[in-house]
Amino acid sequence: MKKWIFLSSFILMIFFLPVTWVFAATSTNQIIYDHADLLTEADKTELESIARSVADKRETDFILLTTNNTDGKTIERYTEDFYDETGPGYDKKHGNTAILTIDMGNREVYLSGFYKADEYLDSERLDLIRNKITPYLTNGDYGNAYRIFIETADEYMDYRPGVNPENILFKLWFQVVASIALGVIIVGLMAMNIGGKITVNQRTYMDPNKSRVVQKGDTYIRTTVSKRRKPSENNSRGGGGGGISRGGHSHSGSKGSF
Amino acid sequence: MAYDSETGKLSCPSCGRKDNIEDLNEEFITTTFSQDEAREYQCENCGAVLITDADTTATSCSFCGAGVVLADRLSGELAPAKVIPFTISKEEAMLAFRKWCKNGLLTPQGFMTADRVKKISGMYVPFWMYDLNSKAKVNAVGTKVRTYTRGDYIYTETSFYDIYRDIDLHYVKVPVDASEKMNDELMDKLEPYHYDQLKDFKTPYLAGYLAEKYNYNDQELFSRVKTKVQSFIDSYISSTISGYTTVNYKDKQIDTSKTRSFYVLLPVWMVYYDFNKQEHTFAMNGQTGKVVGKPPISYGKVAAWFSGIAGGAFISLKLLSFMLGGGFW
Repeated sequence: MKKWIFLSSFILMIFFLPVTWVFAATSTNQIIYDHADLLTEADKTELESIARSVADKRETDFILLTTNNTDGKTIERYTEDFYDETGPGYDKKHGNTAILTIDMGNREVYLSGFYKADEYLDSERLDLIRNKITPYLTNGDYGNAYRIFIETADEYMDYRPGVNPENILFKLWFQVVASIALGVIIVGLMAMNIGGKITVNQRTYMDPNKSRVVQKGDTYIRTTVSKRRKPSENNSRGGGGGGISRGGHSHSGSKGSF
Repeated sequence: MAYDSETGKLSCPSCGRKDNIEDLNEEFITTTFSQDEAREYQCENCGAVLITDADTTATSCSFCGAGVVLADRLSGELAPAKVIPFTISKEEAMLAFRKWCKNGLLTPQGFMTADRVKKISGMYVPFWMYDLNSKAKVNAVGTKVRTYTRGDYIYTETSFYDIYRDIDLHYVKVPVDASEKMNDELMDKLEPYHYDQLKDFKTPYLAGYLAEKYNYNDQELFSRVKTKVQSFIDSYISSTISGYTTVNYKDKQIDTSKTRSFYVLLPVWMVYYDFNKQEHTFAMNGQTGKVVGKPPISYGKVAAWFSGIAGGAFISLKLLSFMLGGGFW
């Protein structure tokens, strides 16, 4: 009985741990800069409300920037200049911001994080997010790409900076399956051994003085060599990374085409 | 007079006289064996007529309780060469069994008290012991795999080896139970016995216990002992082949021959336990006290253990992921 009380109070404690978010006032900054007209007005309204609720939770603005033409700049430079000039941020001008930039002209996508987003959404995590949304971009489903960008970023920001959020140890299904497997294996072994187990082994009855290897041979025959290409670290179309904008704001980043 | 497991002598419970068994002379050995199904014997103590099972070689008189050894069933071909006497008395066996029941992690609560033991009987079970010589000739192909990276490529280098082993193995005193009534699996699990107490057979060791004669001779059981040592041979072979990534056996010729076999009686306590209208049979090694047999399983306890382990593992995994920076949910 005591054990159960201890356990349930422990579980309750765990429940209330994450409730440390600060509920700040809703920001009114512009969030969607749809210069390429990829979204309908209804989509915009819906996505903006999702973006704002996550923004409040994470104290970070999640901005969508689309364009047909980057004026000859690289998509990184285009994004940096946008940040320098517009100065978005949840907490202040030039503050915590994650930007999803879609360039329809070159069919390129760039994800970047500034300040808090730089820390919690580093280039590796942005790579993971980009890999998730690229299929939607390829299919022209820009609204969902943006929505998944926000939701995945929200999920990843739960994890301490530096750890891989896709680590299998963090997956609930893995935790459940591993726990059940362990229980089944241990209880199964207990049930199997309940009738007494065999405690003789190959040495019990062997006469070690007389038993021996009379003759042995280990002859080398041949060697075969096969080679395969090293799997590249990044998505082959990806690359890029973070940098520092001309305005002096350092950021993380992940670039790819779709 | 009955055999006393503590002193290893024949002792009379009334007057306390103790006879050393090794010193007694063998007067029964000339008696001829007859193959009658059930036979009448007369109790030497009270004169009552005993009718016994055809396989019984020692029992107690059902009238006066005196130990009776049916010597003609222990002579000639049927004379055991060796015996390991009981070292665990009935009381010790009962205590050991109770203790064993208490340790049952999955057995029902009511079973653990061991208060419904119906019968406990000491029995000398016939075994054949084999000295075996196995010659194994093994051909196999082994591989050693090495991987390394050079430039943009990962190279996998697999070297093949032709492996040959000629092995001469000797096994001594491998026991196989020769009684039809005894469950083979149960008897195999009772092993090992300590052979330093293996004594030359004398009938007085049986006094006060039940004993059986063998139902199968050493020829008939030879195939069983061969399968029994098969796994020993296999693991010895693989222990001589080391350092390979994979080993693929092409040809394994094992020739096992018998160098010697002899008939022994080994001590077993049989415990009959009534639980939930079912009789459960357990066997205890009369020398080492090892208990084997299938006790009933409590599903409640299985569920409790399972949920305890799975729940504990789940919480530990959650804690681990929290410490790695993953958060709980």
